[in-house]
Amino acid sequence: MSVKKILIVDDDEYLLIGLAAKLKANGYAVVTASDGIGAVASTRREKPDLIILDLGLPAGDGFLVLERLRAMAELLATPVIVLSAWDPTNNRQRSLKAGAVAFFQKPPDNREFLSAIRHALGEEVALSQFLKT
Amino acid sequence: MILSKSKQIEEEGYPPSMENSSSDIGRGVDGISRLNLLPEERTELLDVKAWAPMLETYGLTMKVAVALTDTEGNLLGKCHNAQPIWTLVQNTKVSNQAGCPFCLSPPLPCMAVADALRTGRPTMVRDLAGLMHVAVPLSLGKHSLGAIIAGQVSDQYPESLLLKRAAEKFGVSAQLLWDLSVKQRPVGRASLQLAADLLCTLGKAFLRERYGAILETHISQANLRFRLLVEGVTDYALFTTDYLGRVTGWNVGAERMLGYCEAQILGQNFSRMFTSEDIQNHAPEKQFLKASQEGRAEDEGWRVRENKTQFWANVIITPLAEDGDSRRGFALVMQDITTRRKAEIELETVRQERIDLQEQFLSHVSHELRTPLTAIYFFITNLLDGVAGNLTPGQRETLEFSLENVKQLKDMVSDLLDVSRIETLKLNINPQCMSVPGLIAEVLRTCHANAKLKNISLNTDIAESLPSAWADRARIRQVLINLIDNGIRFTPGEGSIAIHGGVFAEDNNFLCLSVTDTGCGISPGNYPMVFDRLAQVETVADTSRKGLGLGLFISKELISQQGGRIWVESQVGQGSTFYFTLPAFSLARFCASILTPTNLEAGSATLLSIDVSSIDGAIPAQDLSAIRKTLERSIFLGQDLLLPSMTEAETTETFFIIACADRSGAEAMTKRLRRDLENSRVKPTICLTTVQLPVNDQPWDKRISEVTSQIDKLIQGHLLGRESLR
Repeated sequence: MSVKKILIVDDDEYLLIGLAAKLKANGYAVVTASDGIGAVASTRREKPDLIILDLGLPAGDGFLVLERLRAMAELLATPVIVLSAWDPTNNRQRSLKAGAVAFFQKPPDNREFLSAIRHALGEEVALSQFLKT
Repeated sequence: MILSKSKQIEEEGYPPSMENSSSDIGRGVDGISRLNLLPEERTELLDVKAWAPMLETYGLTMKVAVALTDTEGNLLGKCHNAQPIWTLVQNTKVSNQAGCPFCLSPPLPCMAVADALRTGRPTMVRDLAGLMHVAVPLSLGKHSLGAIIAGQVSDQYPESLLLKRAAEKFGVSAQLLWDLSVKQRPVGRASLQLAADLLCTLGKAFLRERYGAILETHISQANLRFRLLVEGVTDYALFTTDYLGRVTGWNVGAERMLGYCEAQILGQNFSRMFTSEDIQNHAPEKQFLKASQEGRAEDEGWRVRENKTQFWANVIITPLAEDGDSRRGFALVMQDITTRRKAEIELETVRQERIDLQEQFLSHVSHELRTPLTAIYFFITNLLDGVAGNLTPGQRETLEFSLENVKQLKDMVSDLLDVSRIETLKLNINPQCMSVPGLIAEVLRTCHANAKLKNISLNTDIAESLPSAWADRARIRQVLINLIDNGIRFTPGEGSIAIHGGVFAEDNNFLCLSVTDTGCGISPGNYPMVFDRLAQVETVADTSRKGLGLGLFISKELISQQGGRIWVESQVGQGSTFYFTLPAFSLARFCASILTPTNLEAGSATLLSIDVSSIDGAIPAQDLSAIRKTLERSIFLGQDLLLPSMTEAETTETFFIIACADRSGAEAMTKRLRRDLENSRVKPTICLTTVQLPVNDQPWDKRISEVTSQIDKLIQGHLLGRESLR
């Protein structure tokens, strides 16, 4: 199976480094972007299998990015997991409504976070199907 | 009261018999015998100028000298119709000499005035010179005011011997005295007696008249004062209404405050001064009722002026009642406190702004902290995962300590935000029907690692068949983790923490959960303090860092906002137990609004179960909320009820609807639901169970509770069935 590519969008340089290292260690290929415009451009260019998206971004916040991605047919199927410092009270619902598959407030629990990534990439489904057969 | 008393005096009239009339004025008339006179009133009653015309007339008519004296017999004012002898004697007398002014017999004391006042009858005296005078008492009730002395006349032809003796005593010329005496016409004793009785009646009547006049003056002055008070008070609206609220009196202040002039408002209902909202809520009637029942009602609120502008008023309503009968009406005192109210609102706004600012700041800080914290968290966990190569045991330990600190920091950041939310009342609580054992098991898994570090055992003791709680699952989880973490922190290694759950012994509408540790304990004096914001209890100072000390404060808020209570019991050196209560979920209470006799007239109720399941993993939250929304739209409010989520399983969910309809009605609803759920991504299975209402002679509440318990059993059975299918 080919290596899944994940795009991380966050304006914090260190977070990008830390999360990228974690994801690589878990067997994923990683590309990064640090603002809204970059996020959309990278998605088009890199065609990632999954996007991890911050909400508080320069040059177009996370919701705007979600809106742009949903507007492009070829990107419609790319799952987005929101990882934000913002308050989940309203933002969780708002993110899910805008098309994200999951919302995590920073800092996430690694186990839950990685599990959500695998789920979003369809890997766990594959596993359960594997078990069934 | 005052008026009626003065009336009594007038009505008593003049007694026809002299014998009776000579008794104390007002004897037998309680009001007067009990009355108290002020010194100035006494003086006023015996005002010589007022008495003068009467005494003058009497003296001239009866051809006697007449004068007013005080109770000691001292002359008050002048002697009217003074006889030549009296003038002679008075001119000779040393001024201020004590003794009766009408007596020619010093130094013997004249007891006439004293006797008259004592007996209440006119007392007649014949002096050394053979001259007669009579003292008439002037009393009002128990008060002796003074006397009238009349006379200085002889009752027979003067005796030369007596005159000579008197002249010697007085040091006047006996010849002169004789000449004067023989010029005076003798007055017969009997006619003098008669004249005395007449004087007594006159004096009594005049005294009463005077008293009445004084009272009248006082009353009219009081009335004037009252009128000035009521009319002149412009800062307060003072008005009266009848018992139906129609205005019967209106002062200048009321006119100024409310804009109606007296002619406009008299007879109008005072409810027109209320806002339309208050009128709809029956505020005017409620206030009258309160005033009638409690003797007074006070209210603050918006009132409407004639020109429809509003002001914030403080109103006091008092019933104008005698013997609790409020049918006489009400008196209202109204004050315009809009300025004060505005200041209060201003102050509140400023306070709110400050709190909002604080919340914004805390929220900003906590969010700003989260991103770098996350980066650190990723770095540390990466290292622990061996991303940068293998670790020595020492390095691993250091990293685990760092990780522990990151977690503490994360909790503090969350606490900060919670506290600011508590203060701005923005704390979100979404109660649901939740199972306590499931939650405790989940919490234990979370806390396990922490407890293991200190080798502390975690035990649970949960009552079997514990009813579900009606609470916010995430918030209760937060409280439990708070309490357990707290326990772990203050319990030395090898200790234990026990979590109990059961029905609250004091009130079975509540569940009671407790967390017991074997830590250092808290002294009773500190019990209330531990739940304070930023509490730092000294006796528990044996750990290096305890976070921000906000955990228990937040827990208390979270519990109390869900209708529960939290408290601690502890023994220093033995450990502490934190208890909290949660409302138990009661299907009966939840359904009470729709399971009513009217709704159940058809004789049955139907339970609809809508099963949703997902083969692969959890059902997406948005799907569930979409289905719930659809269902809510499809049911009839007030007749059907959509129950809250009853299960915590992630891969299945069942929605229950209780419909007060018979089977055909329920089938129609099922059709409608299916149509409405057509567009939903998840296709739920709908199943119908109809519960027949027991047809018997039992009272309605019993029949309803029967239906409720049947529904409860059906729900539990349905959930168990699904569980076993999985």
